[in-house]
Amino acid sequence: MDFRLLPEEELLRKEVERFVQDELIPLESLFDEAPDIFEGSRWKSRARLSRDPEVRRYIEIMEGLEKKAEACGLWYLDVPKEYGGRQVSNVAMIAVTEELEKTSVPFELGNHVSNILYACKGAQREKFLLPSIRGEKTSGFALTEPASGSDPSMLQTAATPDGDSFILNGTKVFPTFADVADFVQLFACLPGTKGREGVTCFLVETGTPGYRVVRSIATIAGTEPCELVFEDCRIPMDQVLGEVGKGWELNQAWLGARRFQVGIRCHGMARRVLRLVGELLSGDRREGEKFSAPLGNFLGELEALRALTYFGAWKADQGWDVRPEAASVKLFATELLHKIVDFALEVAGPSALRKRHAIARAFRHARSRRIVEGPSEVQRHIIQRALFREGTAFLELM
Amino acid sequence: MTGDRGPVFRLRSAVLCVSLFMDFKLTEEEKLISRTAAQFVEKELLPLEGAFLKQKEPFLPPGDPPLRDLDPELRKNLVQKAKRIGLWALELPEEVGGSGLSAVARTLIHREFGRTVVPFQSPSIPAMVANCRYAKRIADGESSLSLAFAEAHKTGTLSEIQTRYRSATEGYCLESSGLDVLSPSSDLFLLPAREEMSGEIGLFLLERNAPGLSIQDEVDLTTDETVGRLVLRECKAPSYQLLGHEEEIKQIIAAEQLRLAARSLGIGMRCLAASLEHAQNRVTFGRPLASRQAIQWMVADLSISLRTCTWLTLEAAWRADQGLPYFDAAALAKKRAAKMAFEAADAAIQIHGGYGVCKEMPFEGFYREARLMRLLYGQEVEIDRAIGEAISKEAVSRQREERGS
Repeated sequence: MDFRLLPEEELLRKEVERFVQDELIPLESLFDEAPDIFEGSRWKSRARLSRDPEVRRYIEIMEGLEKKAEACGLWYLDVPKEYGGRQVSNVAMIAVTEELEKTSVPFELGNHVSNILYACKGAQREKFLLPSIRGEKTSGFALTEPASGSDPSMLQTAATPDGDSFILNGTKVFPTFADVADFVQLFACLPGTKGREGVTCFLVETGTPGYRVVRSIATIAGTEPCELVFEDCRIPMDQVLGEVGKGWELNQAWLGARRFQVGIRCHGMARRVLRLVGELLSGDRREGEKFSAPLGNFLGELEALRALTYFGAWKADQGWDVRPEAASVKLFATELLHKIVDFALEVAGPSALRKRHAIARAFRHARSRRIVEGPSEVQRHIIQRALFREGTAFLELM
Repeated sequence: MTGDRGPVFRLRSAVLCVSLFMDFKLTEEEKLISRTAAQFVEKELLPLEGAFLKQKEPFLPPGDPPLRDLDPELRKNLVQKAKRIGLWALELPEEVGGSGLSAVARTLIHREFGRTVVPFQSPSIPAMVANCRYAKRIADGESSLSLAFAEAHKTGTLSEIQTRYRSATEGYCLESSGLDVLSPSSDLFLLPAREEMSGEIGLFLLERNAPGLSIQDEVDLTTDETVGRLVLRECKAPSYQLLGHEEEIKQIIAAEQLRLAARSLGIGMRCLAASLEHAQNRVTFGRPLASRQAIQWMVADLSISLRTCTWLTLEAAWRADQGLPYFDAAALAKKRAAKMAFEAADAAIQIHGGYGVCKEMPFEGFYREARLMRLLYGQEVEIDRAIGEAISKEAVSRQREERGS
């Protein structure tokens, strides 16, 4: 048993730590005042279209940071070697994100490509995958429908075969950034199929006749997911991602790998919130006595989350089935972040609900986390299913 | 001592194979130790569990049921067997008859012992005892040792130590108005005390029949243990009975916290496994309990708790072995794991229904034991507070730094 990173991973972690220290932390106070559009990773898409000079200023800073990071070799970290990336492990990516999350500046080391795009074959690579890696194209993930979410048997968007193409009909809600994306990964089912069997993933470019973005929907988290409509939208066979009828597996793979990143992101945000709480308590003895125990409790819970996340990522690196681990991390992380933000507000009082206050931002963000990418209830379902199928075997030490 | 004394001894001296990356797998050595302990529990202890749980007089007098214990002959036998395969006196070096195991190995072993309510486990004998004249006798099980750390149970630190000592002719003189001590019938007591003038803290090993030492008010605890009050009045201790100082005492507390955490993991695993099995077999209103969401969510939440506690405990133990700071990590592991064990026993009782509270089943025993573990070596809220205050202090020094620069 060993809890250290590989030497080269430790080196990478240190590089990121230095980058955060030298480049990002000095920008913190500037970004405290940033327009809402810089919450999360939204600046990457919608903000770039803005002509507002204030937004432009922040965009320029971000683009400058991107160039610096790329010059330092801190780019394309999780991209496979065959596409020119560094192909670092899941564990190392967790360590990288842990470092980045030490600052509130919303900067990511890109480019992250939706991992299922690596299923691209032949001409799809040139058209979709490589431009995504280079950051020239962005994409949306269109699975959820007005009446269906985590359950594949409820999927209604239909893909009817017609010669060497498919005709798509249906409505999708909540793909984030679909309005500014270059293409979407669309999940639809074949006629006469049930459950996950007929689910197929299509790559649909913006501007394809029959596909339109109807509206964007404002949410508490500040993201603006869209509603998409497909009306007799014809998609050629060669824009099927992966295999026909194997789309649900792609969806699972997309969610699975993301979960551990969600874990460490929640960890980072919660730590920053608790740091603010610590600062608030440090000046007031009475408040300090009142709140230091719950503060300590939450810090301990964050250690538990960190351990759970690293373990899951490590297990994924071993190539093992990590569905129950991924579900555990998603559930534990998002529920914990929510509780911590709630506690922070209790300490900070109503002034922390000012729209641009860091705790208020976290408050808006944390609530949606318990829902998006599979709500807590679905995660519990996945875990109990594994427990009743396999017993405690997956909890035993290896 | 050249004979083959089982895999634990064989491998203990083997060169440590140091893997150089994050690896949550057990090493071959760790696997063997864990398996040895698991087999001991499975072959020697679990078969006794049924009889142990059912032991009772045919007609109980009104009042509390009697304390359950192992037959003394049986216990002696088990000690011999455990010793033979290296599951005894885990911390003591081999020279004085212990097994000299790492903190990770000890964690793995106590985790296995935790899977049964049969009251048998390797006793807590801190490593510093090795250097005293009683070491051999303690390791052989001829003398029993009890840790009288009552004053450390509140905070898990040394802040509340009230027992006093001062230098006297040819040694020290100790004074205490009373310390609650488990297993009050022990031959030797290990306890921390504070020097009257300097406030320096020392670790003392006292003989039961030392002049000035008395045990009063022996009573049964709600767990199957007894507790007594250790009183020291002008108790004389020769200088060789001072075994250590602050650092050693902190190590003992951390080692005990890790032992309790590890034991809690065993309790959690047993309760979860039994609950899963029962929920699949028990049918209510035409459907197995396992199909009910109320039950599913209980086991799902428990499994996460169990997993987080497993890694916090093992990481703390690993840090101890690496010479890294680990006291805070051990306290946190104990706090969370003991709470988890309590909740696991609670869930197991609920899922088993009426059987759950029956003394014929192990769950109510785990429930009582886990409640006690939560109270030992640091109240939950004190452990939380220590961590919370640390971050507030950190914030103060950061603000000062910023103002200074």
